[in-house]
Amino acid sequence: MTAATPVVHPAPGRAVTGLATRQVRRGGLIVLGLAAGMPALVTGTYASVMADPAAAASLDAIATNPAIRTLFGTPYALDTAGGFTVWRIGTVLAVIIGVWSALATTRVTRGEEDAGRWDVLLAGRVPPRAALARHLAVIASVPAGAGAAVAAVLWVAGGPDRTGALVHGAGLAALGLFAVAAAGLAAQVFPARAPATGTVIAVLGAGLLIRMAGDGMTGLGWLRWLSPFGLIGLSTPYHHNALLPVLILMAAAGLVAATAVAAAGRRDVGGGLVAVATSRAPRPWGLTGVGAFAVRRAAAPVVAWSAGILAYFLLIGMTAVSVTEFLADNTVFADTAAQAGFAGLHTVTGFTATIFALLAVPVGAFAAVRMAAYAAAETDRRLTLIAAGPLARLRLLGAEAGVTAGGALVLVSVAAAATWAGVAATGGGLPLGDALAGTFNTLPIVALSLGAAVLALGAAPRLTALAGALPATGGFLWKVTADSIGAPDWVVGLSPFAHLAPVPLASADWTATGAMVMIAVALSAVGAVAYRRRDLAG
Amino acid sequence: MAGFVLRTHHLTKRYGRLTAVDDLTLDVPAGEVFGFLGPNGAGKSTTIRMLLGLARPTAGHASIAGVDAADTARAHRHLAYVPADVALWPRLTGAEILHLLAATGPGTDLGYRDELIGRFELDTSKPARTYSTGNRQKIALVAAFATRAPLLIMDEPTSGLDPLMEREFRTAVREARDRGQTVFLSSHQLAEVEAVCDRVGILRAGRLVEVASVPQLRALHRAEVTVAYTGAAPALDAVPGIDGLADGGDGRLRFALTGPPAPALRALAGAEVTAFTVREPSLEEMFLDYYGAEQGR
Ligand SMILES: Nc1ncnc2c1ncn2[C@@H]1O[C@H](COP(=O)(O)OP(=O)(O)OP(=O)(O)O)[C@@H](O)[C@H]1O
Ligand SMILES: [Mg+2]
Repeated sequence: MTAATPVVHPAPGRAVTGLATRQVRRGGLIVLGLAAGMPALVTGTYASVMADPAAAASLDAIATNPAIRTLFGTPYALDTAGGFTVWRIGTVLAVIIGVWSALATTRVTRGEEDAGRWDVLLAGRVPPRAALARHLAVIASVPAGAGAAVAAVLWVAGGPDRTGALVHGAGLAALGLFAVAAAGLAAQVFPARAPATGTVIAVLGAGLLIRMAGDGMTGLGWLRWLSPFGLIGLSTPYHHNALLPVLILMAAAGLVAATAVAAAGRRDVGGGLVAVATSRAPRPWGLTGVGAFAVRRAAAPVVAWSAGILAYFLLIGMTAVSVTEFLADNTVFADTAAQAGFAGLHTVTGFTATIFALLAVPVGAFAAVRMAAYAAAETDRRLTLIAAGPLARLRLLGAEAGVTAGGALVLVSVAAAATWAGVAATGGGLPLGDALAGTFNTLPIVALSLGAAVLALGAAPRLTALAGALPATGGFLWKVTADSIGAPDWVVGLSPFAHLAPVPLASADWTATGAMVMIAVALSAVGAVAYRRRDLAG
Repeated sequence: MAGFVLRTHHLTKRYGRLTAVDDLTLDVPAGEVFGFLGPNGAGKSTTIRMLLGLARPTAGHASIAGVDAADTARAHRHLAYVPADVALWPRLTGAEILHLLAATGPGTDLGYRDELIGRFELDTSKPARTYSTGNRQKIALVAAFATRAPLLIMDEPTSGLDPLMEREFRTAVREARDRGQTVFLSSHQLAEVEAVCDRVGILRAGRLVEVASVPQLRALHRAEVTVAYTGAAPALDAVPGIDGLADGGDGRLRFALTGPPAPALRALAGAEVTAFTVREPSLEEMFLDYYGAEQGR
């Protein structure tokens, strides 16, 4: 045998960067595509939408409408393509970029560590701090790229004020960077992926609520300085083009990221900064069968999602009265709002009906996330010992899907009760029955999400989360974009949101509801058959 | 069907062009401890996953206690399983997981389970995320042994156990057999297989190359014989079954013997033999015989 010279990779860090890139590539490209595509569509069709003088006039009136401000943020410079785009889809893009950045970060850092794969990674020559820093840098390139893409599109098509394009792009990038940093820190603090993800999503959600309160309620405007979403609103692209809020957000992101990297060197791999109990008495509830166990696993997520939904809809309920009173006194605004497609905003039922439709997005996401968690339990083999018990495979799937549907019912009920309580607390009148009718009206879209997730679970389990998010989140984005570009009816109609009646302002559209439920049942049935036939992973 | 707890009939599994299990026909009678051997990638785990209905056969058929393996609701009433790589719900404690598996499993003897927890020295108050590899495996072993299922299917159940625990495992297997349970054991620990198995099947590249009891296997393999003698050397050159004859010149002879020993004994009868030792091959040597030279795949 000849003596072999061992091959020493000259830059082991680059291999780590490559690993991180592979793990965020697909999602990152989708985010970049949305960041470039949505503003391109909206700016591209701006001229034709504005060609109608009535539309232009009504948009101007809407600018001062507090209901619209609470929902979409304070609008500026609606007479330019750029200003219109920022107002119409700026918040949506910020949420997409922020949420993706947070989820991707906890997934590839804490999630990989949970799975034990970082033990192997860190046994190599790359120290923990460098490994974390490289992962964060790779993920951060996605929001940075998304911000650049938005800025580039607006630079070309957003109108003469090109500083506005840069400010808006920088603001979106800063928000994403902050989300990456915050998630990176949460991944160091908590010893498991679920609490880390939950915490960072709660931080972002609180930021959004604070932004809404600051935009909607006079006297609370200063609150926006405390929220990432508020800060990018304060930068007012195409108006003041203020850079200070964006710089503050970037500095905060840098500080948090530095803290996260410092913390990475101070803890055990696989552990967190908060300790886990090493021993405890058994808590035997929810272990008596497959259904009970599904309930036990869903309980904490349902509570967490409920808390977020409760806070949001309580705030909506509490603003509803002041917003609608303002509109009722200003019939001009009410008329123009109606012309712009926001009919009935001057009544509490009309206002809440518009907001209730949004509920399908988080509840649909809840369904997708729960089914994705079930798919993950299968791939990392936790499900194997249970699947070796005397039960049909469909019983396992049925328990999970049933409990997820039950959780969705809890969430929509919480939303109704919170809205009702918020309205009642501020002296308005919204019958609880009306509120329930409004929130339950979104369930067909949630059913579509659940059905799509079950279909993916049977046919392509890796795509469960993506498929489940398609009807609700994808449908919502589709509707917003299609509305903003004045797309033809059949294009708008591809989104399930186009078929949602504004309950409680109007009564439910039973034909559309029935059709959506039937499609959902069909998707689930095909998914169940495929699930029964395929091999279980692991 | 009578008496066979586990049957496969031309069982085949293909992953694309790779045939992981190839036309496997095997019957395991009730009360037997069956060892399932083969090198890495031979198809052992794939076979087991088909027995459990976790993987669907490409062709052929498997049944558990006469029930189609795909009908998991009925078939799994007759079995318990220990997977090769035990993954547990990280936030549940050992006690909670055992509770859950007793609730979803085929029925558990709680008294015996508590006894096993003691014998395997398992601390069940710890959350599963803090368990070592061996402790995770013990949870699955305790859950399986504590069932009264007629068939225990175990895929490399002792790969993470220390020698003391390995001994407990062997004891538990014997107790299971004494109760009439059947054990289907895939393992790379050949000493363990030799100690507990009544019969072994050897798989290579997805094909079953041998099914026999350990003594039968031995008969097929070469024993190493040493003979000491005084006077004239015995004439063994032309004796059938004898191979690799070596005369040390110091009154000792060594040779390998395959098949029935009668001809060799007759040839030795004429000589003044002072000592005669036979060393039977270990299962490991037999195993290496099967794979050593002509590794498939
Ligand atoms: N899901 C799968 N997709 C593709 N190929 C697979 C899959 N599962 C197993 N194989 C292949 O089938 C063959 C048999 O694998 P199997 O896990 O059954 O081996 P094994 O005998 O259990 O090996 P070991 O002793 O290493 O556990 C291997 O070549 C493996 O790569
Ligand atoms: Mg195996």
